[in-house]
Amino acid sequence: MNLDYAGLFRALAPETAIVVGALAVLGVDLTLLRGRSLATRMNVAALISALSVLVAFMLNGTCPCGRCWVGASGPVFGGALMFDSLANATRGGILGLVLLTIGVSTGARINRNPAEYLSILLFATVGFLLMAAAQQLLVAFLSLELASLSLYILAGFDKTRPDSAEAGLKYFLFGGMSAAFLLFGFSLLYGLTGSIELNHVADGLRHQGISPLLIVALVMVIVAFGFKAAAAPFHLWAPDAYQGAPTPSAALIASASKLAGIVFFARLLWSGLGFSAGNVSYAFTSVGWLPIVAVLSGVSMFVGNLAALAQTNVRRLLAYSAISHAGILLLGLIAVSRNGTSPIFYYATTYGIATAGAFGVIGVLERQGGCDSISDLAGLYRRSPLLAGCLMVFILSLAGVPPLAGFFGKFYVFAATLKLAGLAGVAGWLTILAILFSAVALYYYMVVLKQALVVAPAKDATPVRVPIAAAVTLVLAAIAIVAFGIWPSVLLGAV
Amino acid sequence: MSNSLFYFFAALTLLSAGAVVFLRNAVAAALSFFVSLCCTGVLFVMLDAYLLAFMLILVYAGAVVALFLFIIMLLDMQGGTRKPFTKASMVASAIAGALLLVGVGVFAKHSEFAATAATLPADSSFSTDLKVYGASLFTTYLLPVQVIGFLLLIAMLGVIVLSKRFDGAEDIQ
Repeated sequence: MNLDYAGLFRALAPETAIVVGALAVLGVDLTLLRGRSLATRMNVAALISALSVLVAFMLNGTCPCGRCWVGASGPVFGGALMFDSLANATRGGILGLVLLTIGVSTGARINRNPAEYLSILLFATVGFLLMAAAQQLLVAFLSLELASLSLYILAGFDKTRPDSAEAGLKYFLFGGMSAAFLLFGFSLLYGLTGSIELNHVADGLRHQGISPLLIVALVMVIVAFGFKAAAAPFHLWAPDAYQGAPTPSAALIASASKLAGIVFFARLLWSGLGFSAGNVSYAFTSVGWLPIVAVLSGVSMFVGNLAALAQTNVRRLLAYSAISHAGILLLGLIAVSRNGTSPIFYYATTYGIATAGAFGVIGVLERQGGCDSISDLAGLYRRSPLLAGCLMVFILSLAGVPPLAGFFGKFYVFAATLKLAGLAGVAGWLTILAILFSAVALYYYMVVLKQALVVAPAKDATPVRVPIAAAVTLVLAAIAIVAFGIWPSVLLGAV
Repeated sequence: MSNSLFYFFAALTLLSAGAVVFLRNAVAAALSFFVSLCCTGVLFVMLDAYLLAFMLILVYAGAVVALFLFIIMLLDMQGGTRKPFTKASMVASAIAGALLLVGVGVFAKHSEFAATAATLPADSSFSTDLKVYGASLFTTYLLPVQVIGFLLLIAMLGVIVLSKRFDGAEDIQ
């Protein structure tokens, strides 16, 4: 095995920057900011976190020469990590989404321990970054756990509300269970192939064909995937977690965690288990994991969109919308064999920006009087034109209205699945289902926008004061949604 | 001989694992957990994985179960007065158990364990030598060990933040 420690260090420079940032946030808060007001501590912590994310963003990337300050491309450290264009683009996207989440957290209500909150957020980021490049089952599992454990804590962070504890506990119990499934699946894969390297696993499986043991392993891995992507029927944690968790935590779970998770499983399923994928181009004729993913995709779109129609709580609505979007992401995953990973990368990134932005708007409103039900948004255009405008961009992008990025995300995914076998096969039927449900989704998104833009404000409503950092973040996110919609090649070309 | 030993200890592992779930007394449950771990250790010994068996006994049976017992006795938990199973949960678990049984049955009927086990290549880097194990932890598996270090740091941070009472928690305005 080729163990290049210097290469590993160069490749993991972004992670190092983030970890140093996380420790600096904790250290500065502990030593220099004792007895200061919470607002000061929050702002300093956010500033250091944002700086470390920016440094990590600059250090991210690969260079073929292998001598300069960024890492070499290709497998690193004996194949434990894989730095291809997908990994680099995803790591860039994750860092962007985390920066957005940090901006959101400056506007949201975090009533204690701001430094610990942001440092745990940064540790979660390290997990996401490793997930995007992991190519060895052990590193993959540990990076997933690093991210998940941080997210459980972030979800249960607000001790003043029982909802938050419920969110944290539910997320933790479901997550722990799915981690056990994933580990069981991984150990069966190791037992079948004698290796934890994804390319050796792929080699081993190519000569074996489908055995019952392999089917058990595949089902276990897919169960864990379904949980991570919040795909039905493994979605039960999502509405409670999104509703109860502090707003920035919910934004992170819905954005960066989703992007890292989908790339992680795309790599695992296609480059590791690609030979046992099966086929869904025409019908459920062959055994493999693709048919299961196809079923999950269809059920997620069905459950997510129909349940979202009945929601009155904004966060629950976003949660069910996340489930329906997970269905479309899974549909994109099916088409990776033919079209590469750029459609799902584009979709997950732009979806992450839009949904984290929407959570950001809700977070600012929550701090100033609450924003539980959709009717609390009434008259937002009067109370804060800025927030109303940003919310409009985010919601329209989630709904998939051109020329925003959400439309092109759907367009590329649908185009990719239709290229598989036209409208004839399972992939084609799912695409038609997805297009039909997009129309359904437009309704519940419009209900939100109607409250925010048309309905008059309540008599006692006051103007909303938006913290400057949060305002800048939300405006930048809205601009990004428009810009990526107009120039999708910026993201598509990165993969 | 080795086969009958395996079946004996496998059955004991399962029985004591079941006892962990079913016993009302928390101390008895923790002790059955200990028995279950020791039997698993014996199974590892029978596979010539001495190091793994040793670690299992040392870390889980030694440290983790001792901590469990300590906390149980500290909190004086004797199990609730609530009935552990309602009718609905019993029906649901019966259905789930039946489904699992059918799955295992179908799986066992079609399985080809022998074929897959025979095709496995012998892994030369695998050894029960503690020195080799330690060396591989700090060379081949350097990255996972580092990640676990941060995992533990996060767990510690999380426990402190979630359980400690902080005075003067107020809203940032």
